[in-house]
Order: sequence, then C-alpha cells, then structure tokens
Amino acid sequence: MTTYTRFLGAALIASALLAAGPSEAAKAKKAKRVVAPAAAAAVVANDSPPVNDPFEPFNRGMFAVNETLDDVVLRPVAVVYSTVLPQPVQDGVANVFGNLDDVFTGLNNILQGKPDRAGKDFGRVLVNTTLGIGGLFDVGARMGLEKNDEDFGQTLGVWGVGPGPYLVLPLFGPSSGRDAVGRVTRTLADPRTHIPAAWGMSLIGANFVSARATRLQTEGLLDAASFDKYGFVRSSYLMRRESLVRDGAAGPR
Amino acid sequence: MLHAIVARTLRIASVLLFCAAAALPAAAQSAPEQLVRKLAVDVTDAVRKSPAGSSDAARYNEIVTRNLVPRFDFERITQSAMGRNWARADAAQKKRVVEEFSRLLIRTYSNALSTLNESTVEVKGTRSNGSDSDVTVRTQMVGGRSPVSIDYALAGSGGTWRVYDVVVEGVSLVSAYRDEFTTLISSGGVPGLIAALERKNGK
Repeated sequence: MTTYTRFLGAALIASALLAAGPSEAAKAKKAKRVVAPAAAAAVVANDSPPVNDPFEPFNRGMFAVNETLDDVVLRPVAVVYSTVLPQPVQDGVANVFGNLDDVFTGLNNILQGKPDRAGKDFGRVLVNTTLGIGGLFDVGARMGLEKNDEDFGQTLGVWGVGPGPYLVLPLFGPSSGRDAVGRVTRTLADPRTHIPAAWGMSLIGANFVSARATRLQTEGLLDAASFDKYGFVRSSYLMRRESLVRDGAAGPR
Repeated sequence: MLHAIVARTLRIASVLLFCAAAALPAAAQSAPEQLVRKLAVDVTDAVRKSPAGSSDAARYNEIVTRNLVPRFDFERITQSAMGRNWARADAAQKKRVVEEFSRLLIRTYSNALSTLNESTVEVKGTRSNGSDSDVTVRTQMVGGRSPVSIDYALAGSGGTWRVYDVVVEGVSLVSAYRDEFTTLISSGGVPGLIAALERKNGK
C-alpha cells in the first residue's frame, strides 16, 4: 500500500512540474504533424525504416514460449470460461477490470496534460462504481462518457520518450523498452500488487483470462494473414502504440 | 394586403430553406465518404441478407470480392507494400504479385468480416492527406465490446476514388505487409515472394 501511495504522490508532483512541459512538447509535435502528410506521400514508395529489434533471437524465443503457453494453458482456460459463463457475466467481469483501468487512464491523462479527458475518466469511475454497482455495468458509456485508452507507456511517449528496442515479455507479450517501463510502473501502482499475494494473483489471473476470452473470436486472423507471425505482430504492435501515443491523429506512415 | 403577401412569401421561403437544410448533409458528403459508406453498407447488408447454407468462408469471400474489387486499387497497394522492390520486378512478376496479394487481402478481409457480424459502421469524417486528391475517411465499427477504428486512405478526383490503404486501430495494412515483403524478398527475391503468396493462398 505504501508504494501505491508513494506513486500517487510522485505522480501528482510530476504532473505539477510537467504541467508546462508536455504542452510545449505537444505544440512542437502538432507543428511537426502538419508537415507530415506531405512527406508521407513521398514515403509510400520507399521502404520502411529498419525495425529496432536488437534482441530478436531472444524475442523470437520468448514469442514461441508465449504461444505455447497460450495453446496449453491460457486459451483452453479462456474457452472454458467463455463457454461456462453467460455473456452478460463475462461483460460484467471485463467491466470491473476496465473500471480499475479507468483510474489509471485518468491519472495518465493528467500526466499528459489532458485534464478534460481525465475528468471524463474519473467521471466514468464515479458513475460506474456507484450506479454501475462496483463497475459491473458500464453506465458511463451510455451517458456519453466514452472509454479512453491511456497507460504510462503512452504518457512517456507523449513526453517525447521513443519506443526503444522491441521486447517480447514473458506472458505479457509484445512490448518495447518504453512500454516495459510503463508496465512495471503500472504493476507497482496497481492495488492488486499490494494485497495478500493469493488474492492479488487470482485477480490478475482472472483479468488475463477475461481479456483472452474477448480475443477468442479474432485469434485466427493473424495466422491467416501473416507470413511470419512474429514480424507481423511486431510491426503491428509498434504502429498501434505510436498511433495511441498520438491519440489516433495522423502521423508519418 | 401587401402584408399578407410578404408573410406568405416569407413562410414559403422558410419552408424552402428548411428543405434545403435537410437536404444539405447528403449533398455535403464528399465522394470518398460516400464510397466508403457504400462499401461498408453494401458489405454488411450483403452479409445479413446472403442465404445461409453455403459455407461461411466461400460466402464472405464472394461478398468481399464483389464489393471490394471495384473500389480498391490493388496495384497501388501491392506497389506500396513492395517498396523499392517493385522496380526490381518485371511486368509478368508484378502481375502475379498483384493477383496473389489481392487474393490474400480479400481472404483476410473476409475473415475479419466474419468476426464482425453484428457491427455497424459509422463514418466519422474525412481528413486531407496533403492534397485534394488524397484523403483519409475515418470510420468506426460499433456493436462489439469496444469500437474498432478503421480508416480508409483513398486517392482520386471527382467521382472516381479508390482505396489504397486500410488502417485498422492505427495499424496500416500496407506498412504491416511491407515489412513482411521486405523479409521475403531479401531471402528469395521476387520469385520467393510469389511462391510464398501462392503457398499462403493454398495453391
């Protein structure tokens, strides 16, 4: 619990210190963005820049381990989970974990200098925790408070930190130097890390299974579309993350 | 008397204005937006209406082929995906790559479609990619757990526009395949790429 409180304190101090900083950085970024489309047209005919993957042999190994783990453990459990539990229950479980995510989304929106979005995130938490009975129902979405997707890796990106080398983490899968730092920070700040381990691990495990179950329908797509699944996942992951850092705005392609 | 005429004229004018305003949104919609909307609506309609019984994969494939082929610029898509290797291929090879890659994309899109059964498409707007003849139409598939953003990059002019890239949740299809193609060509040349595409398409 102490680490959690300390993180919150540090986060608030950091946001106060950086309140001027990120907005300047964002302005510079916006200015660059305006120029980008003209350059993007010229880029289409060229090759993409080399991928930053110095640990490729290790990453490929870890990718294979994760795939096997998924085949043997996670996927079967997710299949049972989605067969046994009715859809509304599955949605409820996903919503409860999503409600916890919204707290962190809000904190990250503050750190990224977007207080209006943070307000909506915390509004969602408030409404969903009370009217939505502990987060079981996403009442906020029906009130027009759309869910945002922010995490500490994206915040670092907004602050100007590059993705760094591509990494495949055990269990968690695709990541980058920057996003791994984000993930560790999130884990340290997550209340589940600070309750008795048996409870914390069960909750995190349930979160994993719930998230995996939502991907059951689309899992075949990648195999059918890609020649080298590892490479396809890598380029998709890196593009997706950069797009999230820009909040979906156009960027160099 | 004069009063009555002015009042009537004003009333008619206001009714006309109202009608014009009601008609405006349709008129203001750009040709690329109309194309994307039509593409999305045609495809989702076709999926809903098509008779069950025929196997799903074949059914989706047929729907996608019918709706996508006239509206996608597969040659440009293939050219971008090959990057500077495009110039190294001869005419016959280019033709083969375009054929096989189109087939793969159509199948990928069909597969994706079958997972988005109950979704509807909302057109969110258009942004320019630096010129009047190059735009991106942003859409969102809603109906699933969380909305999925799908952006279509189109090039053209007047009433003739064609899609040259699809960006799903920030992931450009062309860029994702460019990395794959670069790897395949660096190990087996353009013939290696063609062979890999044929294998993928099950030939």
